[in-house]
Amino acid sequence: MIGLSHYLILAAILFTISVVGIFLNRKNIIILLMSIELMLLAVNINFIAFSYYLNDIAGQIFVFFILTIAAAESAIGLAIIVLIFRNTRSINVDDLNRLSG
Amino acid sequence: MNELIQFDLSLIMPEIFVLSMAMVVLMTDLFIKPSSRWIIYSLSQLTLLGSTYLTGKDFAEETQFAFSNMFVRDGLADFLKMISYLGISLTFLYSRSYMKDRGLYRGEYFALVLFALLGMMIMISSHNMLLVYMGLELLSLCLYSITALDRDNQKATESAIKYFVLGALASGLLLYGMSMIYGATSSLDIGIISTTLFNHPTDHSILVLGLVFVLAGLAFKLGAVPFQMWVPDVYEGAPSSIAMLISSVPKLAAFAITIRLLADGLQSMIIDWKEMLLIMAVLSISIGNITAIAQKNIKRMYAYSTISHIGFILFGVMSGSLNGYASSLFYVASYMLMTLVSFAILMIMSNKNFECELIEDFKGLNKRSPWYAFLMLIVMLSMAGIPPTIGFYAKFMVLQAALEAGFVGFVIYAVMMVLVGMFYYLRIVKLMYFDEPKVKGKIEASLDVQWVLSLNALSLLIIGLVPYTFMEATTQAISLSLN
Amino acid sequence: MIEFKDFVFYALSFVLVASGLSVITSRNPVTAALSLVLAFFNAAGIWLLLQAEFLAIVLVLVYVGAVMVLFLFVVMMLDINLDKLREGFWDYLPMAGFIGLLMMVEMVLVFKTKEFNLSPVDDSLKSISNTEVIGNTLYSTYVLPFELASVVLLIAIVSAIALTLRDRKDSKKINSSDQINIKRQDRVRLVAMKSEEKYVKSKTKDRK
Repeated sequence: MIGLSHYLILAAILFTISVVGIFLNRKNIIILLMSIELMLLAVNINFIAFSYYLNDIAGQIFVFFILTIAAAESAIGLAIIVLIFRNTRSINVDDLNRLSG
Repeated sequence: MNELIQFDLSLIMPEIFVLSMAMVVLMTDLFIKPSSRWIIYSLSQLTLLGSTYLTGKDFAEETQFAFSNMFVRDGLADFLKMISYLGISLTFLYSRSYMKDRGLYRGEYFALVLFALLGMMIMISSHNMLLVYMGLELLSLCLYSITALDRDNQKATESAIKYFVLGALASGLLLYGMSMIYGATSSLDIGIISTTLFNHPTDHSILVLGLVFVLAGLAFKLGAVPFQMWVPDVYEGAPSSIAMLISSVPKLAAFAITIRLLADGLQSMIIDWKEMLLIMAVLSISIGNITAIAQKNIKRMYAYSTISHIGFILFGVMSGSLNGYASSLFYVASYMLMTLVSFAILMIMSNKNFECELIEDFKGLNKRSPWYAFLMLIVMLSMAGIPPTIGFYAKFMVLQAALEAGFVGFVIYAVMMVLVGMFYYLRIVKLMYFDEPKVKGKIEASLDVQWVLSLNALSLLIIGLVPYTFMEATTQAISLSLN
Repeated sequence: MIEFKDFVFYALSFVLVASGLSVITSRNPVTAALSLVLAFFNAAGIWLLLQAEFLAIVLVLVYVGAVMVLFLFVVMMLDINLDKLREGFWDYLPMAGFIGLLMMVEMVLVFKTKEFNLSPVDDSLKSISNTEVIGNTLYSTYVLPFELASVVLLIAIVSAIALTLRDRKDSKKINSSDQINIKRQDRVRLVAMKSEEKYVKSKTKDRK
């Protein structure tokens, strides 16, 4: 029988994959953005699972808003990436060395 | 039903006004010539004036809720909003000629800052985790794009992408934590979360896990160690005017959601978050102050100084008493006043062909302009926490609250770190007064900037001399909202 | 005996996790984007199991239909040097893998607690359509965030345009008033120069 904890563990695995992805792909900004999308997906699975098992619609409403905002967020993120590519002809983080950070 | 909606709308009048004016600014910009941008500037200042009136007109004496308890209007919210209007207004004023010189004086800038202000107002007034998230994203999205607004500047776009990736990561962490808290309490409403946790202490481990993620997200947004790495890069890369915006007013909003989530929603878990905040506060104060010494770039120095100030603000929150929250509120408000002046002087010293960003550029400022050197002296003394400036009282109150909460050892450590911090603030004073100027040339600013800047800097001294009214205002704001 | 629903859950989550891993490890950003599409499809399937039909459809329509297409568009538009981006991938792998495993084990331990094995509840909420419930709540209780979401979208539009819109470089447009107002000294520069002696001498030589 599938219970709440199965869904939570699935979300935790996805969340971990996205964190590992952020560590691994420090050089590739596009895959960094995709890892963040994956992280939001994990959060959404969490909310929907809680919403179903707690019998409360608020979790699903929250997911609705996360989807909306994540779409806006990725639009702005991709716009900034296009700017960077125009300025440096590269999206490699190593080429971004104007800042000593 | 109708009356109910009218009541709700009357409470969010300032927000509605700011939103509509932001759209008016956006539209007006399409129809005017670039040479008549002063219209946009005056419209934006008018917006802030109008919202000050609307908020001040019925300044909340008691806590009122609107939109099914999602939106709260209380003393804390109105106090923080008033200070935010002031901060944004000063930001517009100080950055005017700097932005003009760099071709950034565009309509979108004003519209996006006003939208960011709306986001901050929503954060300040949110009483629901969903609204916290919405306000936060409203603010962050505006800040990301404002940072990249100087689009041919490679440094600015780089810092924008760093800010964006780390900010999006922080939002992800915060949301994951919120989902845990939702699962444990089956509500998004901060009030209900608070009462549920108080009445039935539920499964502890899941709440602690949620708390860790929420704190990580908040620390990212505040810029506290160990999530501070974006702060110096963004300050250095972004144009000074935008660094000023990022460093000043958003900290008020971030403070507000910290108070709402921790001191209100998760009040029953104080033992758990106290320790985590303590670690973050001590690390922020030490790393901020020690790393600042090694900086050559003044904007990076300001960034590390911000990190140490954030540490002090967390110190006050960590005390967990009304006194502690009030002292943090006092600290964050006075921090905003200080940081505005510090960046404004940086911008006045820059001109079209010269970007003032090295500490060396301050050499011999006294010979070039004694008055600005004096204003900078006040700010540096205030940031270092030397009496009788406002910065001294802010640090004093925070440490006193921490002392009452029984953190004697950490208070002594923090005082030691303040002494370390004095070194790099006073180094600038030394450069200004005892060194020969490297760059010659007069420092020019328009008359209104001169007057307001002087007033702003002198207020650091004057409030420092008579801090009691300001202190009472913060204490009252906190005690009205949290009891 | 495994129930059919359980089988569907395991199948979907297996593909979801596998495509998630493929997103973060693939060499080519296009492959990564397509794997992410697959991940979203499977997540939508899992949401259907949880009776969140509306959101499952929205996920496919908005995410797969719009956001991922935007991603693919940007990936294709930018000419990316793939090999350079992969440098250092294997250096980070042991550390990242270790941290990931640690995080996962800790979180799984937390979620394994007995209290969470709640059985699904069947009641009135499920008898009306999911879309109707969401719609009713969204437009009554959650009307303030709903309005704010529209502001967020407006900001995304404004800033995406402000950041990337440029005048065309090959445009032949000229500002006519600039042309009329042009003065002689803007275009012509008179330079006083000495005549170059070497040049003059060689000329005279030639004549001889």
